[in-house]
Amino acid sequence: MVGLQEGMCPGLDGGLLRSLLAADVKTVEDLVSSDLEEVAQKCSVSYKALYAIRRVLLAQHTAFPVSGADLYDELLSSTAIISTGNPSLDKLLDSGLYTGEVTELSGGPGSGKSQVCFGVAVHVSHQLKQRVIYIDTTGGLTASRLLEMLQSETSDRDEQMEALQRIHVFRLFDAYSLRDRLSTLRSGGLLQASGGGSVKAVIVDSVSAVISPLLGGKQNEGMSLMIQAALALKTMAKDFGVAVLVTNHVTRGGRGEVQPGLGASWSHIPRSRILLERTDRAPSGCSSTLRSATLIKSSRQPCLIKEELDLQWWSRSERRSSGKRKRDEADS
Amino acid sequence: MNAGETCRSCRLRWEESRVSDYGVSHGACRVDVFAFLQLLARLEARRCLKDIEPRLFAEDEGPRHGDVEPWRDLYLCVSGKTELLYHLLCRCVLPEAAGGLEVDALFVDTDYSLDMLRLVSILDSRLSSAGLEEAALRSSLSRLLVVHCSSSSQLLLTLHYLETTLNSRPSLALLLIDSISAFYWLDRCEGGASISRQEEKLSKCAELLGRLLRDYKFTIFATCHTIRRSCSGLAASRSSTLEADRPYLCRPWQRLVTHRVLCSRQEAENHTAGGSREEKRQVFRVHCSSSSSRTKASRISSFCVTDAGVQFI
Repeated sequence: MVGLQEGMCPGLDGGLLRSLLAADVKTVEDLVSSDLEEVAQKCSVSYKALYAIRRVLLAQHTAFPVSGADLYDELLSSTAIISTGNPSLDKLLDSGLYTGEVTELSGGPGSGKSQVCFGVAVHVSHQLKQRVIYIDTTGGLTASRLLEMLQSETSDRDEQMEALQRIHVFRLFDAYSLRDRLSTLRSGGLLQASGGGSVKAVIVDSVSAVISPLLGGKQNEGMSLMIQAALALKTMAKDFGVAVLVTNHVTRGGRGEVQPGLGASWSHIPRSRILLERTDRAPSGCSSTLRSATLIKSSRQPCLIKEELDLQWWSRSERRSSGKRKRDEADS
Repeated sequence: MNAGETCRSCRLRWEESRVSDYGVSHGACRVDVFAFLQLLARLEARRCLKDIEPRLFAEDEGPRHGDVEPWRDLYLCVSGKTELLYHLLCRCVLPEAAGGLEVDALFVDTDYSLDMLRLVSILDSRLSSAGLEEAALRSSLSRLLVVHCSSSSQLLLTLHYLETTLNSRPSLALLLIDSISAFYWLDRCEGGASISRQEEKLSKCAELLGRLLRDYKFTIFATCHTIRRSCSGLAASRSSTLEADRPYLCRPWQRLVTHRVLCSRQEAENHTAGGSREEKRQVFRVHCSSSSSRTKASRISSFCVTDAGVQFI
């Protein structure tokens, strides 16, 4: 809703504004959808003047149509695929996180959502040398864990510090501050927060931790907050060309099947969704780092494909050889 | 052709005579007869999308000028409705040589969900199977206009601006809104306790669209998300299915709708792809019903999603 203000456009002076307000035309929408002839009579201004104002206001406030061909060209030049650093995850996502899109990881407690987020953050900041914004809503992020992961990547202390500096962390513990932070980031704060230099990934771990407590019951404020946060994430992804990774919890449906949380309205938000689960193959007694990842929503790949994911991948020192061995084992 | 038919040329001829009478006798009319006839000439050029997808709509029940279709996916996960929307969009913008209708389409993206890469890959595979080149892809894409809206006020203002676009592009015959329910929760929260305030924006949009449909004769497809999960899962009983997809948008919008297409996902079934590898493929079921006053008709069809987009089975 955009209220009418003096000087918004040429011709809309104080006198006219007062008579418009008196005629119950308070917002741009009111003016645009009203019968101009009637309003002109009520406010005793010329139809022509009102018509001109309406045209200018429309031009100022509408979204302009873009040709599909131009949009495609722009997309080709701006889209980047950001590798997550883990081959099985990349395979599921059709080679990585796409900029301009929201990707979701869902899974129960201990399914490795946060570990994947850490891994992606470290990989993007160290290997790809890009900035990362990490919004932590659970308090689960510790710098020491990131450092540990970095130490397995490089032994150079300066490089480790540089990589850590490229990860910008916000700790927010309620939905309101999440929404406000996302809105600030969307309206240009993204560039400032990173201290110059382009941000390529925004990670929210976890989006459900702050939003799910507000859902349910008869009030719809929680839903509204969730959609606002979602819209902010989506527009940020599109406008700044960043890849957004969010995590979600899981619930059980009527027949006991596992499904991502936050309900039906949220399910339209992420472009790709991955469900992380513990595997049954884990030997009893020791906690395995193997997880199964299932692609449950995608517009590029056939759904329901499964991959085995090793959480240790990101903190391996000799990643190439050990990874190969792992795959050989899996094949045999 | 008889008088009751909705055939474009009949209706136009009838309207034309009425308009010229009207213009002559009615002095207060702001628009002169000449401008009106010019407008009608533009209408004449706007193509009817009756045969947009014969496999989806019941026979002789395809969308005509001035129809709106919302659909929603009954079960979440991979939304078959997005694919279906791309399918219809492709059918419109593809050149006639590739089996398209060669008309312009405007895509109103309120969800920021338009996946251009996916759309292009569908277009590409259809063009290459018709033996057409890169240039055809560009011309197909230029038939598509995209608008992103981030609030219901912006949507309303953009729809007001649509009139200008409709005037300047006579070949624009299709408006896609994905999705009309995107701002539902925001409006509900913003409107406070009063229902009429909550529904104000969408009602205004619906009224405006109703007027534009009357004046310009184009077709609208709109998607509508399910906002509730049906609690008993895929094997839902009929009653709970109905409960889950009860229309929840405002009355003026419901009145505008003439066809409803319900998409639901069926259990993934195994089928042999290329004779060698077993592949899981998802089958979607669509139930199309028209609620126009003429007749009640419905049709159920199934499709699966491949690299080349929707394939009806």
